[in-house]
Amino acid sequence: MVEEIKDQDFSQSIENAPTPVVVDFWASWCGPCKMLSPVIEEVSDELSGKAKFFKLNVDENPVTAAQFKIASIPTVMVFKNGNMVDKFVGFRPKDAIKDALEKHI
Amino acid sequence: MSNRYDIAIVGSGPAGLSAAINAKIRNKNIIIFGSSELSGKLIKAPKIDNYLGLPDITGIQLKDRFQHHVANMGIDITYERINTIYAMGQYFGIAVNEKMYEASAVILATGIEYTKALKGEEEFLGRGVGYCATCDAPLYRGKIVTIIGYNKEAEAEANYVNELAKKTYYIPMYRESLNLNENVEIVRDKVVEISGGNKVEKVILKSKEIVTDGVFVLKDSIAPDKLVPGLIMENGHIKVDMNMKTNIEGCFAAGDCVGKPYQYMKAAGQGQVAALNAVFYIDKN
Ligand SMILES: Cc1cc2nc3c(=O)[nH]c(=O)nc-3n(C[C@H](O)[C@H](O)[C@H](O)COP(=O)(O)OP(=O)(O)OC[C@H]3O[C@@H](n4cnc5c(N)ncnc54)[C@H](O)[C@@H]3O)c2cc1C
Repeated sequence: MVEEIKDQDFSQSIENAPTPVVVDFWASWCGPCKMLSPVIEEVSDELSGKAKFFKLNVDENPVTAAQFKIASIPTVMVFKNGNMVDKFVGFRPKDAIKDALEKHI
Repeated sequence: MSNRYDIAIVGSGPAGLSAAINAKIRNKNIIIFGSSELSGKLIKAPKIDNYLGLPDITGIQLKDRFQHHVANMGIDITYERINTIYAMGQYFGIAVNEKMYEASAVILATGIEYTKALKGEEEFLGRGVGYCATCDAPLYRGKIVTIIGYNKEAEAEANYVNELAKKTYYIPMYRESLNLNENVEIVRDKVVEISGGNKVEKVILKSKEIVTDGVFVLKDSIAPDKLVPGLIMENGHIKVDMNMKTNIEGCFAAGDCVGKPYQYMKAAGQGQVAALNAVFYIDKN
């Protein structure tokens, strides 16, 4: 499952998570984001319990988007103990995403 | 989306056409994307002597033979340029601007592009460099954007970006006259490098430098790994095995885009192998 996250609860959710956290930065006007979201949803089900998945709408949450200097979307970031440990930009097929995430789990 | 094709073929050169006829013979529901002249390289060839069975033929004559052949088999070419192919797992989403096609398998037969990436272009991709201005423009609201345009279509994107950006520069990579909004600043100069630290900071030209937050590089054709995100390349070509399979399940490739030699018969042969393996893949799933 992928949950919505907002500016207000961002740092708390990232820092207090017991597992790695994956955040999908997206917006409603972004075509590749629309394609990526069902793929991330599938990955989140397959890795359930091993990582926590969030999505953040960059239009509605400009503070976080600016903080992480999002210059292109979709951008997916992986956080561990509150620190960003990995990121990729643009669409990726499911296997590629899983491979990338499994390194951090 | 109701209509999902069995196989989508991208490219109408000898590799793509050979794939199309072989998939059609196997009764698959196909769609092939390309251009009305089939292949720019085909019509440019003055004389071809190594196409078995058709000695001493010109490129244009060979193109006509190809055209008859596919038309006789009831194959229509869809004259559209594909922007992105999304590997969704069970199927592929094939995007032409806002429109989306779906297919169970894909054959890439896009030929090879000679224009090289600019210095810094790949390094800063996703960190200020992008290939789709209309996609990412809202992120540059109130900022400075530079567009490096390789064709007329890039001008419309520049005008759109200009509505949101604080300042828009346009660097044309061609000579024709431009159709740009007044406040887009035109810079006719040679691009030396896109540079910066963590992200893009400036475009260095032969005679000056432009400070910028973002750079869009808008070209005619897209590198295969940008066309299909997640596709693995090797030495500038798509990596395939002997069955013309790429690293992505259900995605095959054939012709110049998979490597040398760059020849018609090799392209046609690989297109056939790709089609037969795509048929096998579809029947199995
Ligand atoms: C002047 C010249 C002479 C040559 N002479 C010979 C010769 O005598 N003998 C020989 O064997 N070979 C010759 N070649 C080489 C030959 O032309 C190529 O090897 C052959 O055309 C490769 O076929 P292909 O199908 O892989 O790609 P191409 O023929 O390059 O076709 C690719 C097609 O894909 C389309 N395409 C690309 N991207 C997209 C997209 N995103 N969406 C939709 N469509 C897309 C292109 O528009 C094009 O129609 C010559 C080449 C040139 C330039």
